[in-house]
Amino acid sequence: MGVITDNLPGVLEPLPGGSVLVTAVDQLINWSRSNSLWPLTFGTSCCAIEMMMATGAARHDMARFGAEVARPSPRQADLLVIAGTIVKRMAPRLRTLYEQMAEPRYVMATGSCAICGGPFMYHSYTTIRGADEIIPVDVYVPGCPPRPEAFFYGLLTLQKMIREGESIRHPGERRRPVLAALPEGMTLDDIRKEMQDLLSHDANVNMTEAAAEGAHYSAELKDF
Amino acid sequence: MSVHVSTLQARISGESTASSPLSTEEYFVNMGPQHPSTHGVLRLVLRLDGETVREVVPVLGYIHRGIEKMGEHGNYRQFVHLVDRMDYLSALANNWAVTMVVEKAAKMETNDRIQAIRTLVCELQRIQSHQLWWGVFGMDLGAFTPFFYGLRDREQICDIFEKTIGARLTMNYIQPGGVMYDIHPDFVKDVKAFLTYFKSKMPEYDALMTENVIIQERLRGIGKLSAERAIALGATGPVLRASGVAHDLRKSEPYGLYSQVDFDVPVGTTGDCWDRYWVRMEEMRQSVRIVEQLIDNIPEGKTFLVKPAAKIKVPAGVHYSHVETARGVLGVLLVSNGKDAPYRIHCRTPNFNNLWCIGEMATGGRIGDLVATLSSIDIVVPDIDR
Ligand code: SF4
Repeated sequence: MGVITDNLPGVLEPLPGGSVLVTAVDQLINWSRSNSLWPLTFGTSCCAIEMMMATGAARHDMARFGAEVARPSPRQADLLVIAGTIVKRMAPRLRTLYEQMAEPRYVMATGSCAICGGPFMYHSYTTIRGADEIIPVDVYVPGCPPRPEAFFYGLLTLQKMIREGESIRHPGERRRPVLAALPEGMTLDDIRKEMQDLLSHDANVNMTEAAAEGAHYSAELKDF
Repeated sequence: MSVHVSTLQARISGESTASSPLSTEEYFVNMGPQHPSTHGVLRLVLRLDGETVREVVPVLGYIHRGIEKMGEHGNYRQFVHLVDRMDYLSALANNWAVTMVVEKAAKMETNDRIQAIRTLVCELQRIQSHQLWWGVFGMDLGAFTPFFYGLRDREQICDIFEKTIGARLTMNYIQPGGVMYDIHPDFVKDVKAFLTYFKSKMPEYDALMTENVIIQERLRGIGKLSAERAIALGATGPVLRASGVAHDLRKSEPYGLYSQVDFDVPVGTTGDCWDRYWVRMEEMRQSVRIVEQLIDNIPEGKTFLVKPAAKIKVPAGVHYSHVETARGVLGVLLVSNGKDAPYRIHCRTPNFNNLWCIGEMATGGRIGDLVATLSSIDIVVPDIDR
């Protein structure tokens, strides 16, 4: 981050009443950050259309929340809205985009695809099951596709998170006020394992059987 | 027939084809996969000579989700919702393509009410799709206002769909054996209100873009595609019609209630960007005409003729049928082994062939015209990759 924000705590803290000052500066910085998000124009599939409706259509109009300056270059953007499915071929590019973005950067995963693979969770051999396997995600917005209203709720949540989240004392460390609790007796690893079992089970196709079955259709297909 | 295949590497090391003595050294530019004008994650590799485009090579696969393979794992009803996600701007037409092939193969009955509802919602969605294209096309040319106007009017159709179907984008509405729900009691009233509203807005669209000298000068004569090449490349939809070929499945192989309504198929003459623009604008008017003729005459009857949970068995064999979506011909080839799940499904999607015309259109032109040309094809990338 910037030279000023890096050095500011060191200068301010020793002063009398310094820590109060740091908190005040934090608030000011977070407030301005939360109200001037610059999203990257990035959309891979269906959800991108609803994002367009959310940003462009006069009924919804993202400009009300100070986030309408969509930038096509990642270097000028600080909000990455993952709108759409991420497949294996796109994953490294997504990572590159994320790394090129200016600090501090925020990520919203909109749509079931970006959360867990959505409709392509089972039986698809290419989709990444959730964008958070590649980059850290701050806010998830469920839906297939999420309505513009849902997207705005996510955006407001992100703004709330930014306002309460970071301090220049520990740059890069974020407090997340909105956390969903897991049911008792269950850990994240349990869920991961269960999902992996399911997925490997899904992918089992008996190739010999399938090929034998296919032989007679290929003959039929020839004169089609 | 021999197919000439050349790898990207061969092209890079190949001889310069520039004939002018002023030609400079050729170089490559990579456009995409993250680029605001590729409407998704399409990558184009451009071989340039100064400002002149020598070759455009699309590189695909950045949103390949394996939809065709996934279709083999579920039954026929479960495949319908997956095709929504291919060309999401014509989700209903995609539903219809799958429905049609299943109904034809399994000899399922429908009635006039079902067909009328299907035709109506598909035409409404064609208008909706062209509205979005119009807005985005304007934005790609550097005009921001059309984007607001197009999306403002698109919202109105979204509202109509939401009342009846419950979704704004991914519909999953047209099913083998009928449509998921009957139309909302307000449907007729809402559609009529929309038609009145939209007909008063079309002159606004024209004043803003169609009659605009800057737009006309910008689009005329660039990105030309001859009728012969369009047919050879397998282009369909507005791209083909703009080149002067009056091919529209709604006319040539009428399905639904298209044979009972009166509408024209707009065709262009030269196949340049302007023609493609004009054809789509005209298609919106024709769709309005179709909806007007049908909206007062929706017959009575049931809207679902099989039990929703009933298993559909398709006789063994190869089945095919196709529909005209907002972008061209979507064909679904189904190989069945007599069970309740397809053995193999293949979709012949319009955008795939239309995209390949970009090489023909852009080669020899200026790089400044490339974005206008690409946008005039109106591609949806997940439909290309599937
Ligand atoms: S969540 Fe649904 S609408 Fe969004 S990209 Fe995935 S399939 Fe498309």
